[in-house]
Amino acid sequence: MNTHDNDHDHDDLAARLRRLPAERVPPAVAWQRIAAQLRQAPPQLPPPLAAVPASVQYRRRHWPRGIAAAAVVALVLAGGGRWWATHERPVAVAQASPLQRQADVLAAEYGQAIAAIPPETVPAELAPALHELDSSAGSIRSAIAQSPDAGFLLGQLRRTYALRLELTRQGLAAAAFPT
Amino acid sequence: MHSSLRHLLAAVALLAPMAPALAQSTVDEHHLLSSGGRVDISNVAGSVRVRGWDRDDVQLTGTLGEGQRLDVQSSANRVQLKVVYPQNSRNSRGAVLELRVPRGSELQAATVSATLDVADVDLRRLQASTVSGGLTVNGQAGESDLGSVSGAIRSQLRTARLELHSVSGEIKASGGSGGEVAVNSVSGAVSLDLSAVQRLEVETVSGNLGVRSAGLQPGGRISLQTVSAPVTLTLPARTSAQLKVSTFSGDIHSDAGEVERPRHGPGSSLDTRIGNGDGDISINTHSGGVRVNLGTH
Repeated sequence: MNTHDNDHDHDDLAARLRRLPAERVPPAVAWQRIAAQLRQAPPQLPPPLAAVPASVQYRRRHWPRGIAAAAVVALVLAGGGRWWATHERPVAVAQASPLQRQADVLAAEYGQAIAAIPPETVPAELAPALHELDSSAGSIRSAIAQSPDAGFLLGQLRRTYALRLELTRQGLAAAAFPT
Repeated sequence: MHSSLRHLLAAVALLAPMAPALAQSTVDEHHLLSSGGRVDISNVAGSVRVRGWDRDDVQLTGTLGEGQRLDVQSSANRVQLKVVYPQNSRNSRGAVLELRVPRGSELQAATVSATLDVADVDLRRLQASTVSGGLTVNGQAGESDLGSVSGAIRSQLRTARLELHSVSGEIKASGGSGGEVAVNSVSGAVSLDLSAVQRLEVETVSGNLGVRSAGLQPGGRISLQTVSAPVTLTLPARTSAQLKVSTFSGDIHSDAGEVERPRHGPGSSLDTRIGNGDGDISINTHSGGVRVNLGTH
């Protein structure tokens, strides 16, 4: 592999980065469970996304690309030219604590579940709460990065994501809320 | 002709201010309910006021706004009352309702922006939720579950099992709540003044957390967690429990025990025995400071 020229290295890197999200996807069983739960409570009305903050929509559509971009930055910062040839995972992943990796899995699971709900307008009553939940999830993940032994943060993150999913689903049925 | 037109215009002018009132309709429903039966009520906007009484029937009175109708389903064991709003009813006034429920019944009440005020009740079970409307509860219930998204929750409920949850709405609970209490909030502040608890679990992300309890029942447990919010716990001096506190970057101030800090790296913790150490108290924060006060009850 070290005999490859630069173009081949770049191709190889691009191929590996494209595969990165797949490495973070939770077991199929987990996703099937979430999908089954979603089917059990089908939306009554077309769901909301237009009122979801643009940043959230962006994250949903570009989730894998965002992870790949973050990995590229990590590689550059690590000064890695060809280090990936001798490592199975990028530095960012290899240095992640078990708690962070579980947080990544949670984020991927719930991100997929939320993205599976067709986009629509969020009722005015719920939009600030969804924004608050997204912001809080970000804060918790930052805290997990700083404090990799604080297991209670994972429970907080799970609860926050679960509430985000639940409210997003409630928003489907509540699109006609008068204000 | 001109005279008739003038009279018509005069009548319109006189009645115009009354148009909203004319668009409303009154509600006056009575339904018998067997002992321990269940009452469900849901309303989107306006207000819902619930009061208990010593009769065996359910009564709903009040007014509906323009285009609204009341959907009623009733059996001996269950009465369901739902205000149905017309499509695109954003400009209509919400329904204003008063519900009377029998002692010992089960109540499930849900609103969106409507305020929900429950008082003078003695219920087997209470489940009440709002999205942005304020939720106020007092009285008595065997068990209770109160939730909101952004509306404030005020509870003065005497209950053996209490669950409170909100996203950004402030939560305040006092009165006779004790036994088992579980509270979850994201950014809403939580303030609890409880009787002796058997099991208390509170989690917030960024909502300030203040707990005062008359004590810990024998073998009782308290667990308080926040990510970035400060935590204050106040217990009587006679408390008997093992106290464990851990924080990554917050400060710990406690009337009992010594705070330990690692030689290298961040974080501080405290692990001490209060009294005979019968119960368990654990407090975890990431960046929120912790204050434990003993001896004020």
